[in-house]
Amino acid sequence: MQRREHQPPGFSLVFWRELAWLRRRPLLLALTAVVPLGLMLLLTAILSAGLATRLPIAVLDLDGSEFSRAVIRAVDATPDDAAVLHVAELSEGRHLIVSRKIRGLLMLPRNLERDVFAGRRPEVVFFYNTQTFTVGNLVLRGANAAIPSVAAGIRISLRTEEGQPVEEAKAAVTPIPLQTHALFNSTLNYVHFLLAALLPAVLQTVVVTTMAYAVGLDVETRHRFAVLRRLGGGLLPAMFGKMLPYTILFLSMLGIADAVLFKLLELPLRGEPSLLVFAGVLFVLACQFIGALLALLLRPVAVAVSVATLLTAPAFGFMGIGFPRLGMNAFAYGYGEILPGTWYLMARIDQTIRGTPIDLSWKPILVLIGFVVVLVGISAARVLQMRSSSELERSP
Amino acid sequence: MTMLAVFRSEIGRVFSLRPVVSVVVVAAAVYALFYPQPYLNEALRKVPIAVVDQDRTQTSRELARLMDATPDVAVAQVLPDVPTAQREVYARSIFGILLIPQHFERDLLHGRSSPIALYADASYFLMYNRMNGAVTAVARTLGVNFEITRLVGLGVDLPVATAATDPMPFVAVPLFNPQGGYATYILPAAFVLILQQTLLIGVGLLGTLPSGEAIPSRRFRSRFGDTLYESIATVAGKLLAYLVVEALIVTTYLIGLPYLYGIPRLGSVTTILAFALPFTLAVGALGLVVAAILRKPLAVQLVFAAIGLPFFFLAGFAWPAEAMPLAVQWLARLLPSTLAIDGLVDVAQLGASLSDVRNEFAGLWLLAAGYAAIAVVVEISRRRRAAVSMPA
Repeated sequence: MQRREHQPPGFSLVFWRELAWLRRRPLLLALTAVVPLGLMLLLTAILSAGLATRLPIAVLDLDGSEFSRAVIRAVDATPDDAAVLHVAELSEGRHLIVSRKIRGLLMLPRNLERDVFAGRRPEVVFFYNTQTFTVGNLVLRGANAAIPSVAAGIRISLRTEEGQPVEEAKAAVTPIPLQTHALFNSTLNYVHFLLAALLPAVLQTVVVTTMAYAVGLDVETRHRFAVLRRLGGGLLPAMFGKMLPYTILFLSMLGIADAVLFKLLELPLRGEPSLLVFAGVLFVLACQFIGALLALLLRPVAVAVSVATLLTAPAFGFMGIGFPRLGMNAFAYGYGEILPGTWYLMARIDQTIRGTPIDLSWKPILVLIGFVVVLVGISAARVLQMRSSSELERSP
Repeated sequence: MTMLAVFRSEIGRVFSLRPVVSVVVVAAAVYALFYPQPYLNEALRKVPIAVVDQDRTQTSRELARLMDATPDVAVAQVLPDVPTAQREVYARSIFGILLIPQHFERDLLHGRSSPIALYADASYFLMYNRMNGAVTAVARTLGVNFEITRLVGLGVDLPVATAATDPMPFVAVPLFNPQGGYATYILPAAFVLILQQTLLIGVGLLGTLPSGEAIPSRRFRSRFGDTLYESIATVAGKLLAYLVVEALIVTTYLIGLPYLYGIPRLGSVTTILAFALPFTLAVGALGLVVAAILRKPLAVQLVFAAIGLPFFFLAGFAWPAEAMPLAVQWLARLLPSTLAIDGLVDVAQLGASLSDVRNEFAGLWLLAAGYAAIAVVVEISRRRRAAVSMPA
């Protein structure tokens, strides 16, 4: 190791040593920069469309009338669905759904036109697949919007034929119209909902596992551990000198991801940017100290990394983005509670799409501060304990 | 070394190397219990909303009561105005606001259109869908009841009135997962991905941890034919070993766990296992390639720690492949999980036969062959290097 005799021990000595270390260890640098950037880029590419539109559906038109074609056109006109092909029978459509060639099947019964206008209430059936949750719900949304509006048109025309004025007929067919306003993410964009949350989730795993590795390298052998302490000239400077280069690196990764989200993918920033940055710093620090603590408690490094992976790799599900935490059992809710990511995502959603007023924004941030304080405290206690035990062993 | 010898020694290594056991067996067991926890309630029920009732009549209260009676939403608070309610949304104590304006009842009784408004938090899509679905349905039902009552009051016969209010009923039939359960949706796919992750990391570790097996030293550089034969035997022996080790784990994940978690299964056990065969081989062979690229056990562990999430979305299961860029769609096809999730979910949950999923099935065999071929090439070059560095 390159000695820096001229520099007094302290925070900056450890800091520069760690940077030099990073330069000489391509693996560590790759893990802290290339891997997270690559994974975030991949996720961004996957979800970049933001909206899944014109999902293919098939039509089984047993009526073949002008009216049935109007129904098909109405469904095709929704942004969600595209009627791409006609099938001759139900089993063919079912088969195409199973093989994912189409996402839904619209069935219009024989004599649809005649029966509708004769008041026989023929059923229009839409088959879809909820095994693929998101897609199933999206194709259904299209059909669900188009068909009742066609039906409403019929009801209005039935009434105007009887001599009712158009306005009155319109009011009569929908006595209670519902206006739905989507708060915060009015276009229901998956980039702003899902991708904006996935990127920090990936980073959480990367930070915890690589810190377990980086700190593990220092505490694995008693000698290196002693060197680190001497170089730092004290417990806290040594700890923060070791951590800070990574904090800067990971924050840059988060910064790059956010730059892409805000600039390219138009994620709104309705809240307080400084609060968002502050939450980001706390989030990275909390994750770093979880990794460090695992390295301090578990040996060898491989075990610390394994446990770090085990704890954080499945974490996304517990953070309540896809399936809300409200619907979880007590264990899952509790586990979500002790993940820094859960609180960071809350703070992030607050300051980006929601634009939460400042006085209602503090809870997740205070929790993150609590995480950092507690984790630094436990890590410091553990380092002290390791020092005293190693001194005990050394003195005969 | 013959194939059988490699097979035997690799099986021995799987169970004697602690990091490998902890990934392939322990991690698989922990994930089986841990991963499904968030989803076990299957459905999101009773999303709390607030009602802002500016009408304060019998009909408006009836509407609020009907909302509360749906399984999807619960009226948690009754608040005086929208700004107050909006603060509650910011505080996440409620997720939607139902506004019933003044004169709601009066307009309704006078036959005028009487709109209501739902402000629903769309920063969590599932909650938004629940609230929107429930409120739409209630508003529609209540509205139709009013219309029928009014028509009957005008002297129209009930069947005619019903037909006039709903001339073309719309019936949506979910073909699979009819309850729309979240666990039923996500777990079959996630289990395939966990299998891939644990096996990839396990094989990656096996290939990078120092092995007791030394390449037999020869005085002379062996002929290419022999090297080729031995390399094929080595790769085949290893793949066979992974297949045997995974047999129990794959069966547990694809048959046992879905059963335990009450996920409906339409496909037969034999079909599922037949499909799992090329999947396991492809993942094992990919693991050998990964080991050759990453070279260090810690690199394997760390690179694969966070890769699961992108792999899951690549599979085109949570997010439709149609909406991904073409380059990403092609990249996705290089992963066994993409084809396996499609195929296995089709077979197990949709009851597809092997011939229904023959594309995925053939694709997995192709991947297995391709990655195995690369692994053989890697093995050949490793042997040649070893032969060169060996003092003659």
